[in-house]
Amino acid sequence: MNPLIDVQNISLTIPTGHIFQKKKTILHDISFQVAKGTSTAYLGTNGAGKTSTFRILCGLMKADSGKVIFDGHAMSGGLPPKRFGFMPEQPYFYKNLTPQELLTGLGKLSGVDSNTLKKHVHVWAERLHFTKVLNQRLSTCSKGQVQRVGLAQALIHQPDFILLDEPLSGLDPIGRACVRDVIHDEIKRGATLLFSSHVLDDAEAICDQVIILKEGKTVFSGEIQSLLSSNDIWVIQASWNHQPDGVQEHGEVKKFIDGNYHIQGSSIASRNIIIQSILNTPGADLISVGAEKKTLEHAFVDLLHAEEGGTHASHP
Amino acid sequence: MQAILEIAKLTFSDAIRNKIFYGVFIFLIMLLLTAIALASVTMGRTELMIMDLGLGSISILGNLMAIIITIQSLQQERESRTLYVLITRLEQRWKYIIGKFSGLAAVLSIQIILMCLLLALCIVIFGGIYWQSYMQACFTTILEIWIIIGIALLFAQSSSLFLAILLTLAVDIAGRFTFAIRQLGEQSDNPALQFLTQAMYYILPNLEAVNLRNQAGYIVQYEWSQLLQICTYSMSEIALLLCICSFIFSRKNLS
Repeated sequence: MNPLIDVQNISLTIPTGHIFQKKKTILHDISFQVAKGTSTAYLGTNGAGKTSTFRILCGLMKADSGKVIFDGHAMSGGLPPKRFGFMPEQPYFYKNLTPQELLTGLGKLSGVDSNTLKKHVHVWAERLHFTKVLNQRLSTCSKGQVQRVGLAQALIHQPDFILLDEPLSGLDPIGRACVRDVIHDEIKRGATLLFSSHVLDDAEAICDQVIILKEGKTVFSGEIQSLLSSNDIWVIQASWNHQPDGVQEHGEVKKFIDGNYHIQGSSIASRNIIIQSILNTPGADLISVGAEKKTLEHAFVDLLHAEEGGTHASHP
Repeated sequence: MQAILEIAKLTFSDAIRNKIFYGVFIFLIMLLLTAIALASVTMGRTELMIMDLGLGSISILGNLMAIIITIQSLQQERESRTLYVLITRLEQRWKYIIGKFSGLAAVLSIQIILMCLLLALCIVIFGGIYWQSYMQACFTTILEIWIIIGIALLFAQSSSLFLAILLTLAVDIAGRFTFAIRQLGEQSDNPALQFLTQAMYYILPNLEAVNLRNQAGYIVQYEWSQLLQICTYSMSEIALLLCICSFIFSRKNLS
């Protein structure tokens, strides 16, 4: 499939400090592609460089090196405004304006005509459940409502490419479900989505592709399924008076309220070592051994741990 | 053009509802009441005294408002990330600067016009003046405010809120003494000081050159050629400031 976005070898350094300027590298030679019609989660720990990448794509910042190709054309100052919609992280906009005024103004800036815009504003307000506050000042709206207005402004001109920075932060479960539905509908419409989130359940539910960053470097880029199917999670339930040797080193141990311990991990070799150790330890009982479907969160944590250990995750 | 207009409209709608405006009107009314009280114990033409005091107050308040509203508006837009959603909708960033200037200029012009009308009402109560020269003085006060908006826009992009206010205020005050600064250099034997004062004379906007308040109401009207000169100078100054702003803003990393 043709990539809509092709990011090639982007690096970014920013000055830090005040009088004696030092330089900090935010992005190290990042490359990835986003295919047309796909939904891609852009994940990483805090400070990994997600927001900086988005700002480069939007033309808010200039990369030191590398290039961005959009639909076959090299971009010099950000993506073409009418073809993409951007929602920044936790926006709160003009506090003296109403959502209606804001969306109308931003829609017109995106080239939508007044008649279409009138309909679109009401449609989006209904779909994102902020009709009640449509004519209320933004300063009186809740954080979740402003967040939904933020999503509406990114989608009001029906862009081909949607770039969302933490779209689900600050939303209650109902709000999250609503936003997830809207994003699903946009993908069905044919839009291409790239979004960042710390809520990996949402990323897993919405996206089919994933790009994982760590300290400004891409550590994984590919289909979510290929990352999840690599290994399932095993869970061992046991009890003991003294922790058997090697348990802590080979698995993640949690003590439950019933006094039992749950140990989980993904390596089969580690699982066997732990079982052996429990069986060989006097006073330790092995209660059960089971398997769980690996979630994106598990895969993400494993991948970043593997990176810290110096092993590189496989790129499909 | 549509993009500039939309940014101007958004800026205008947000700024016009800023609570700071109501406070200014209360302050102005109090100031006028003080002027009236003073005038009642003064011999001579009360209306001229009210006008002098009023026009001076409008200019000071207008300048302060222009500085605060412009810098606050830009900083808030950046902090609230509204700037990002605006910029990503524009083909060229200079449109943002022009739109922002237009919106702020419109808001502050309306404010100055309202204050001038209020002052005119007070003057009418106490007697008559030469309205043409009064209107001309009000008009040039608006031009002065527009220059201040341009200066504030320039500093707001390159420094923090406090520093931007301080720098704009410094240029605003120095801009009223450019002639005195040059004279100071001319009287000195130090070539470095002469160069410095000469440079300041040319770099700083000459705000005294757009001031027609001193004789407003006393003379029938100022020469139209003088007004044309003031307009040309103000517009050139504003254009220059906006060009510099746009140049800096277009190259700026918005992190």
